[in-house]
Amino acid sequence: METLWSIHRPVRDLRPGDHACLFYGGEDEQRHITGAFVRDGLLAQEKVVYLAGSACDAVPGVPADAPAGTLTFLPAGPREGGTFDPAAAVAAAAAEIDRAARDGYRAIRVAADLTRALRSPAGLERVLYFERHLERTVPPSTQVMALCQFDRRRCNPGEPDALGEGHTVFAAPDPEFEDAVLRIVRTFRPAGLALSGELDASRHTVLDRELTASASRAGGGDLHLDLARLDFIDLGAINILAAIAASREGPGGIVLDRVSPQLRAVLETVGWDMLPGLRLGRT
Amino acid sequence: MTLEHRAFLYDDHADFLSVTVPYLRSGLERGQAVVAVVREPNLSALREVFEPKGAAIAYFDSADFYRHPVRTLRDYQTIVAQSAPRSVCALAEPVWDGWDDRQTLEWIRYESLINVVFAGSGARALCPYDTGSLPPRVLDEARRTHPLLLCDGRTGGNDSYVDPATFGAKCDRGRRPARPCDAEYLAIDGHDLHALRSFVAERALTHGLARQPAQNLVTAANEVAANALQHGIPPMGLWVWRECADLVCEIGDNGFWRPSPLTGFIPPGSALQRGFGLWTVRLLVDLMELRAGWDGTFVRLRVRR
Repeated sequence: METLWSIHRPVRDLRPGDHACLFYGGEDEQRHITGAFVRDGLLAQEKVVYLAGSACDAVPGVPADAPAGTLTFLPAGPREGGTFDPAAAVAAAAAEIDRAARDGYRAIRVAADLTRALRSPAGLERVLYFERHLERTVPPSTQVMALCQFDRRRCNPGEPDALGEGHTVFAAPDPEFEDAVLRIVRTFRPAGLALSGELDASRHTVLDRELTASASRAGGGDLHLDLARLDFIDLGAINILAAIAASREGPGGIVLDRVSPQLRAVLETVGWDMLPGLRLGRT
Repeated sequence: MTLEHRAFLYDDHADFLSVTVPYLRSGLERGQAVVAVVREPNLSALREVFEPKGAAIAYFDSADFYRHPVRTLRDYQTIVAQSAPRSVCALAEPVWDGWDDRQTLEWIRYESLINVVFAGSGARALCPYDTGSLPPRVLDEARRTHPLLLCDGRTGGNDSYVDPATFGAKCDRGRRPARPCDAEYLAIDGHDLHALRSFVAERALTHGLARQPAQNLVTAANEVAANALQHGIPPMGLWVWRECADLVCEIGDNGFWRPSPLTGFIPPGSALQRGFGLWTVRLLVDLMELRAGWDGTFVRLRVRR
């Protein structure tokens, strides 16, 4: 599914015509990514159509002061033991889109959690029918964008590949911080942050802030930093990592994943004895 | 617990073994962590003598262990930390051939630094010096850098010993080689050091440094420049030039700072302690020199191709 040519795009950069896909690994990840998709739309006075199993599925990201009528929930079923009716789902979504267009909405966001549909009888086939319809209608549109979500934990092997193929992009989390030099994005499994670009003294404050927030989310567990795309880290930032690791309560340390050979050599020159609470993770 | 740091001036192989074997044995008997860092063929000879003791002694070849004085200090510090609560008994024979004058001076300074870095470690170190092959300068300096001396079968105090701070000041005195007039210059004026890193990385590449030493130099130059921005007084800038196989980066500011002769040589306990930055800079480059004068504060970094 995630091939070399897959496009990953932060939710905030999704535009009309994008038919995006999200395989989330847990409710926190869904809340973070889908929540941003819904919230951005509602705050911009765009129409949001949320399609999910039943009305019991809370829609993530709805701000308290969302304008009335901008959010429509479509229960797509199926009921326990029933089958998913993709034609009905397509018709319901199309009707909502038409109505929103008539009501003069500038943009229309469709968010669909199809996990329950996927797990019903002949689910994959029926969900793919629904996806093919979206793929025919969304990309040519200058108004509609769609975000289809699946709980990765409930997908069978091969399903993510089959489902991912029918989408133009993968939805990625919005960065916690981004400027011309450094980008910090939250990660979920493992929980932590992915850092890319260069990290130096002018960004120590933001690093400290994001690490502190991430550490509190991680509770007593390990905090993972994915450094695969970090080209430079200064000694002051290494000092901040060590300080955060030292200030944490509980057994969790800071695990540095996918460290480039150059950064790894710098850390080894410093010596792990100097860096209590920090360790290398997967390469 | 005080350090016992003794130079042993030996004449030949038999003399070497007659002292080092009982020394290592005494370490084992006292329950110390015993390490032998020795040049060949002495290393093999000791391994043979102590073969029945199995893995009781950790052996290292000096040729591998003594490549960069500050990194060697770090490695000994690691051994001391990992041996705790046992104290360390080290047979420590540096390498004295293959260095230029400046490098030799840094290794002599290293011997002096041992006295302060491991002052409270309770370690014992015996440093053999081969009187038959070593130049007189090295043998003379051994007397200034070791508080204890074992020579001609006599052991005892050593009147020639100089404390490390005084010794370090002497090492640096009079060393102010001029910066060449064709050195490239980059002003440091913003708080964003991205441009400085690219500038240094590009020169490192042109000079033919391998990726790792280049990255180390960029990290070191960035650290010194960040310090200048934080503590120094403008104007500040970076000069880069070549001296044969060396690439030299100098970062200067207009501030007046009086570094101690030991600045950046004493390993901190961890990255959280003061001094971590400059200590790490010393580890990252081949040589770091500090110069503070009426015209400002200058930190010179040198990496050999």
